[in-house]
Formats: sequence, C-alpha cells, structure tokens
Amino acid sequence: MSGIQEDDDLVFHKITSLLEPLNEKGVKLTRETDIIADLEIDSVSLLDVVMDIEDNYDISIPVNTISEIKTIGELVDAIHKIKKEQS
Amino acid sequence: MGLFDKFEKNAALLSQLSAAGKNPFTVVMEEVLGPTRAKIKGRETVLAGTHNYLGQTFEPKAIAAAKEALDHDGTGTTGSRVANGTFSGHTKLEREIADFLGMKNCVVFSTGYAANLGAIAGFVDRNEDVVLIDADCHACIYDGCQLSGAETVRFRHNDPESLDKRLSRLDPKYNGKLVCIEGMYSMYGDIAPVKEFVEVAHKHGAHLLVDEAHSFGVYGETGKGVSEAEGVMDEIDFYTGTFSKALASIGGFMASNHPEAEYIRFASNPYRFTASPSPSTIASAGAALANISENPAIRAKLWENARRLHGAFVQFGLRLAAKPAPVISVLLPTREDAFEAWSFLLEQGVYVNMAIPPGTPGKESLLRLAVSSAHTNDDIDRLVAAYGALAEAFPSARVDGNA
Ligand SMILES: Cc1ncc(COP(=O)(O)O)c(C=O)c1O
Repeated sequence: MSGIQEDDDLVFHKITSLLEPLNEKGVKLTRETDIIADLEIDSVSLLDVVMDIEDNYDISIPVNTISEIKTIGELVDAIHKIKKEQS
Repeated sequence: MGLFDKFEKNAALLSQLSAAGKNPFTVVMEEVLGPTRAKIKGRETVLAGTHNYLGQTFEPKAIAAAKEALDHDGTGTTGSRVANGTFSGHTKLEREIADFLGMKNCVVFSTGYAANLGAIAGFVDRNEDVVLIDADCHACIYDGCQLSGAETVRFRHNDPESLDKRLSRLDPKYNGKLVCIEGMYSMYGDIAPVKEFVEVAHKHGAHLLVDEAHSFGVYGETGKGVSEAEGVMDEIDFYTGTFSKALASIGGFMASNHPEAEYIRFASNPYRFTASPSPSTIASAGAALANISENPAIRAKLWENARRLHGAFVQFGLRLAAKPAPVISVLLPTREDAFEAWSFLLEQGVYVNMAIPPGTPGKESLLRLAVSSAHTNDDIDRLVAAYGALAEAFPSARVDGNA
C-alpha cells in the first residue's frame, strides 16, 4: 500500500467518523456519498464538521472550497490538496 | 417546477403549521398598541420578540422629528447616497453617530444588512485578501463574504484561540486580513470577548470588524456597545450597527477611526446601488440617538427588566442559553417542542421569537425573548406567569427535564 493510499484511508476514516453521528438514516458512507443530499444534513452542520477536520489536521479549508464539495470523496481530495499546500 | 422543487419540503411543514394555527413565521401584528403591545389573532399580546431594546418606537421626540422631516424633505430620497440621495440629514446623522461612538468617521447605509455587506465587500479584495469570521456570525456577514468573493475562513464561536490558530496558518500570500465578530449575538444573547479578539487580530496584522447590531445603545457605560464594555472602543478597526433595533428606525452604518475607511463610499455596491434611507427614518434615528444618549436611565431600565426576567426563569428551572442579557433564550431539544412551546406562549398572550436549526448556533431549537426598557411591570408579570406555565407544561424546556 502506497503512502498516499494509506493516508487516503485515514482521512476517509476520519471524515466518516465525524459524519456518522449525523447520519440519522444510517446511509452507508462511501466516497460517492453526497454529504448534503444523501445524509440530509444542513449546510451549517457540514461547516461544523469541516471545522473539526481543520483542527484535526491543522489546516484551513475556506468556506468557498466547501461550497463546491458534494461527495465525501471530493472532501478527501480537497483535504489532501490543502494539506500539501499548507504543509 | 424546477425552480420551485426545493421549496417542497418546507412548504409542506409550514402549511401544516399554518393549518394548526401554529406558524411562527406568518404572524401579523394586526394593530400596534404601543412599544410592547399589539393585537395578534384579535388578542392583545405582550411583545417580547422584537428588537425594541430601548423602547424608542413611540418616543414622542422621534415621532415629532420624523413628521417634521416628512413635511420639509418629503417621503423619500429617490436615489442612492452617491447620486441624489444624500440630504443634510444623512451627513448630520453620520456626524452624530461618529461623535456618540467617539470615532473619526461614519458611513450611513440603507440597512444594517447593507452596512455589513458593503463594509466587507468594499474592504476585501477577492484576489488579494482573506476574511475570517466567527462561526455564529449573522447571515449578512456570510453574505458579505460571498459578495466579496474572497477566501473565507470560519473560526469557532467566541474562541480567540481558534482565530489565532487560523491566522497563524494562513498562507503569507494574503495582503489584507479582515476578522469579523459581533458584540452581542442575537440568538443566545451571549457576548464576544472583544478585547481578546482585538489582541489576536492585531498581533497578526489583521483588521477587526465588530457588528454591534444588537449591542449598540445597550452595552457599555455610555451605550457604545460590547466594545466599550470591554474597554477597546479605540482599538477596533470597523464598527457596524443598525438603526432597526435600539433606535427603532431603519438604516445602518459603519464607523471607523481609519480615515481611509470612508473610501468604501466609492467601492461598495450596497452603498452605491440602492436608495438611501428616507428623510423621516433618518430623523427619527437621530432623535432616538439623542434621547438615549441623554437618558442613561433608559438603558438602566432595560438591564433591570432583563435581570428580573432572567432571575425568574432560573427559578423556574428553565434551560437558558446565556447569562442575563437583553436576549434571553430558552433551549428546547426538538423543533416539534419549539413549535408547540412557541404557540403555547402565544396562547398565554406572549409573543416571542422561535428559531430552529440551522438558524441556531447549536443543534437545539430555541424560544428567544428580547427584553425592552419599555416593558412595564404588568408586562413583566405577564411574561413571568407565561414562562412559569411553560416550565410546568414543557419538562423538556427545563434543566432537569431532559432525562
Ligand atoms: C448581527 C446582525 N447584524 C445585522 C443585522 C441587520 O440589520 P438590519 O435589520 O438593519 O438590516 C441584524 C438584524 O437582523 C443582525 O442581527
């Protein structure tokens, strides 16, 4: 397993662990899950989850970036990109 | 079709509430009976869900000033501040607000919403600058960030350390940095540690904007707001406020000690492309400002009422969101509870605001009571009685009721 793949899984795992408490309908979380549409969480709750991610990885994810993200996979990719830029 | 699909879910809920006569969003004040009373559904009701903190809606001097302005200057300006919409009343009020706050300059906008939109979008460049906002900031601050098009970073509510961290890890590519907070937050009635925010913002070379929409006239030794109470009036960079709450009119403003701040008059669309406030609204705002600055007893009365109500609610065991303040919110675990509790209070002859997520800071719904200095002893008695009955009828509203 390459370093990136391993990191990818860790980030994915982190995100799903933060989203799980909000997953009231018990949807199976995959990279393709549409965070707002499939989980029926509101946009502010998503911003709050992102704030936890920011503090966990010590990065800043601008609100503008979040509003372009739909799926968990896109969020994982955005975090990787920002981690690279901000490290 | 298409455009309207997204309304379906809420429309169903709202029409259900309306059918049950329990829709908090369609209340009509059928007849206004005074600063704290109106007829709702044919009944005289105590108003405790307004922003009439200083009871200025029927201040005789404000009404007289508005009438005189109507007679002299007409009903409307029919134009924007940068064209034909700046009358002598507008510039006079700008001077008066700047003097009241002890700041160098002031720019009057058509609403408080426009003032925040205009200040943020006017100061911040989409390519060069960055905005950092408290997570619980009002929609107009979020919208101002969007209008600016600049990168926007949220920090944790009332947490200067969270801001510090985010400022520390900012890319050095940014030129200007604007931090936005509020004085008193309108949903819980909690206040910002403005002094600590000033220190953190300035340490990182950022400017600090404080929206004192709810705290102007209300907090501080002379009513200048939470920034005054925190002893940092001279250190904040931009102060925004509204005429729609303590001054009981319509309009908004941005005040500053930076001489350059006035350039937003030429850089801000919410200033340039909307009609200026009408002469009578400007006149009543000015008269209300003079009245509240000459009569500190008005503010003292507001605080006396706030402490009485807060104390009584604590006695009832209600779960309150914050310390005594002109906004006193009771937390409820679910939306359904909130709708029921809200209509329960209305049946008791008391109107308050109801807020549900995501319009609230946390996951809870809330009943938001806004205190007025104009609440009479009779009003307060009726509010206390109604909340006492609420505490009995709704265990979920009590500290001990969530088991
Ligand atoms: C924090 C805050 N800022 C600004 C505004 C907007 O004020 P106005 O009603 O003058 O547009 C409000 C009012 O809703 C507010 O709560």
